[in-house]
Amino acid sequence: MAAKKTRTPNVQNDSWVVIAAESVIDTQKQDSDPAFVRLRNPSTDAASLYMLGSGDVQLYEVKAFEEDFHSWFVGQTVQRDGRLLFVTPMDPLYLILPYLIKSGKEGKFQPVDQVVTDEEFPACSRLLSCTRSLASMHHIAEEKEVGSLKFHRYSQEKTMDWLKKKVERTVIALKKRNISVGEGVKSTTYVKVKSESDSNEEDYLRYAHGLISEYISEDLSKALLTHLHLPELTSPKETEPRSKKRKLSDNPVEAGEDYTKFNSADFARKPPKKMTAAQKSLAKVDKTGMKPLSSFFSPKVKAEKK
Amino acid sequence: MEIQNLFVSDFLIDFGHKEPAITVFKRRRRPIQPITHRDWRKPEIIEFASLFTARMSCNSSVTRVHVSSVGQTPRVPVHLMPCEIEHNGPAQVSQYLTATMKDRKYEKTVSFRGRGLKGQELSCPQGYTGLVLKEINKTGSDQEDRTVKVSSVFDKVTYWNLETAPNSDDTIVMAMDWPELAEAIHGPVDD
Repeated sequence: MAAKKTRTPNVQNDSWVVIAAESVIDTQKQDSDPAFVRLRNPSTDAASLYMLGSGDVQLYEVKAFEEDFHSWFVGQTVQRDGRLLFVTPMDPLYLILPYLIKSGKEGKFQPVDQVVTDEEFPACSRLLSCTRSLASMHHIAEEKEVGSLKFHRYSQEKTMDWLKKKVERTVIALKKRNISVGEGVKSTTYVKVKSESDSNEEDYLRYAHGLISEYISEDLSKALLTHLHLPELTSPKETEPRSKKRKLSDNPVEAGEDYTKFNSADFARKPPKKMTAAQKSLAKVDKTGMKPLSSFFSPKVKAEKK
Repeated sequence: MEIQNLFVSDFLIDFGHKEPAITVFKRRRRPIQPITHRDWRKPEIIEFASLFTARMSCNSSVTRVHVSSVGQTPRVPVHLMPCEIEHNGPAQVSQYLTATMKDRKYEKTVSFRGRGLKGQELSCPQGYTGLVLKEINKTGSDQEDRTVKVSSVFDKVTYWNLETAPNSDDTIVMAMDWPELAEAIHGPVDD
């Protein structure tokens, strides 16, 4: 029978399995090594891990994919930590934006190197070395050139247009990958009954808005919603009629199959969970799409079983 | 219960709460339905602040990645197992896993600790490469910069499910979509 679950915390971990953009290990230009740095997360305002490529020319985002009860075999070794890290290129403007907004309150044109500074996160000034930073500043700010110097002032109007384009790009990618975006699909691991027409344009827009909102402040996220002409979802009831159309599984979620769903992204390893009656009923609630989308997208969501 | 293929028995292996379910209930196999739409649940991919879970490094510290030696780094087989193994370090993986692996048309199967596992090989997304990073020169201080090296590289991942046949709804399959979505979110926009 199963050994007693007296699991020791995994403290000696010093190894990570990573899927990284090839440009990270591009050994053509070896002036410096890439580095993991901590920068202020524009959505949570707290520290998050990013990577700056060789010579700081490219910013990368570092995200972890995690499922409970997973470990790696790497060659002839065991790695207990079953996380998979993704290192993907990131638009540095998302990280620069909060600094620009903050200084924009004064309404003055300022040189960006004076704006993008942070005592708590000294590495933030390196963002300006990224090739795309200065070249794309006009998407979020008005520019003024005096002699050889450039000055910038935050523009909400430009930023909204820029974010809207981001949302549109994301919608295209979601459609291309056939990713279901409606609310009713979350807990139906086995039963896939959605048809093409179920995911309408608004579902896609909202989903894409949610993805983009992970990179901007809450205020900006709300403003973007207005800019996209999407009403805020205040009551869960509003989403009900649409999701009712979806055929739902009549079978309760079986405890034995619960593991196939990704149900915890917490770093702290949790003791094994059994599906309680309460959770089962919650799972049913989920299927009827009662959960407001906004809660799904809240920045600090820990992918807790809902 | 551990009838065959005892893995190195010193390690505690935890298949999670699914464990008793297998012996107590006879599980009904469900047909795999054709999947046209995919439910990409975003929270699978989560933000995190530090590589080092045990010690919090301070915000100004930097972790350098030595990439210059990648060319000489060994390419290794990588398996994502559906259980937590309380061990970090060497193990007889090929003896206890790969040696008994069966390669069928649509899935791989293996018996591991008496469990029937079903797996599938996934390639890294286009333009991406698999790296195993390992910290070197561990120093005690949290203030100091750290260094990691690329200890192995891979371009394919074999992931294993407990009982269920691999399908496009598996979370790691969906996670492999992340780079393409990230490109949409972060790629340059037109003027």
